[in-house]
Amino acid sequence: MNNLKVFLNGLIKENPTFVLLLGMCPTLGTTSSAINGMSMGLATTFVLVCSNVVISLLRNLIPDKVHIPAYIVVIASFVTALQMLMQAFLPDLYATLGLFIPLIVVNCIILGRAEAFAAKHGPGASFFDGLGMGLGFTMALTVLGALRELLGTGSIFGLTVLPASTNMLVFVLAPGAFITLGFLIALFNLVKK
Amino acid sequence: MKRLTSSLKNMVLSLTLIALVAAALLALINSVTQEPIKAIKEKNQSDGIKSVLRIDAAEEVSVKETDVDGYTLFAVTRADGSYAGTAVRSTDKAGFGGDIVVLVGFANDGEILGYQVMEHAETPGLGARAGEWFRTASASTEKKVGGFSKAFFGNPDPAGNHNIVGMNPAASKLSVSKDGGDVDAITASTITSRAFLRAVQNAYNVFRGQQADAATSATSQP
Repeated sequence: MNNLKVFLNGLIKENPTFVLLLGMCPTLGTTSSAINGMSMGLATTFVLVCSNVVISLLRNLIPDKVHIPAYIVVIASFVTALQMLMQAFLPDLYATLGLFIPLIVVNCIILGRAEAFAAKHGPGASFFDGLGMGLGFTMALTVLGALRELLGTGSIFGLTVLPASTNMLVFVLAPGAFITLGFLIALFNLVKK
Repeated sequence: MKRLTSSLKNMVLSLTLIALVAAALLALINSVTQEPIKAIKEKNQSDGIKSVLRIDAAEEVSVKETDVDGYTLFAVTRADGSYAGTAVRSTDKAGFGGDIVVLVGFANDGEILGYQVMEHAETPGLGARAGEWFRTASASTEKKVGGFSKAFFGNPDPAGNHNIVGMNPAASKLSVSKDGGDVDAITASTITSRAFLRAVQNAYNVFRGQQADAATSATSQP
């Protein structure tokens, strides 16, 4: 399979959020603003690309019966490394996002792609699969975060664009996440057809 | 290459090897990042102390640290020997998302000079606004919403006072107006507001208690 196709497959055709509906917990939990959604998406992309490549390289060295514990060790190591590096070198980003980083370990997109793709394909294709899926996830989270931020607080990426009288607090809260996500999935399916 | 069979030997070997390599890599990264992380934490702390006492970040000060039942007091003296105030690090365990750690700066007479939320896990966009909310003056006009839309969408900026900077806990009641206090809670975040104000009040109590201790020990040891 050619790499561009693999990449676009993750980004659009099998977009993890809008089509596969994977990783709903971070999707709904972290998207109260555009910047939060985007940062969470990029952090997940980093872990996804690294874990996909490493698992693909190790795929023949891991016996079938222990593949899940082995994958979890690999994924958890990358997440811990990311957390320590961010804390040391990007303290501002870590302050807003620190809470969500450990949750990447249990994000089912990562284990799902390791299982469904990296365990069966070479490192090159797995890299593009991770990148496509990761950026697809990032795109979805950014759009969702931007919409919620706009409707809830009248700003996008922290820039105020709407007067306070149009703010609808409900969109910053959990119900707003579900409502916005529902409409976005509908829209995505409509456009894809 | 064919995938390894799931024999006991293969399983133990591959898991052990993967875990060993992962542990070694993490140990390496940890040793690299340990120093910067520690430096950042210390810098945050000293910057925080200066900012809550309204001291310029570049000014040289000496800080005396004391621990009193889980609270940390930082008595700050300026370079010329004058007393600048005391910052108190106080934790409340009953925030909406767990612990809220605040650093509050008090002048000698107990006036609140400033505060900073050091650690919290409150809801973004709601309780997380505590860092700004309690030091900004309220909007003068109330948003014109009522009835259903107010109940459903909330009212982000009601009139009233929610600026605690400049208040003196000896004269003002540090609790949310719903509980009969002098401070307006963050809209839709009463639990966060209560926990925050409790942390500030406790910080004040510890600060006063310590002042009283210092006064008695000063008289008993001339």
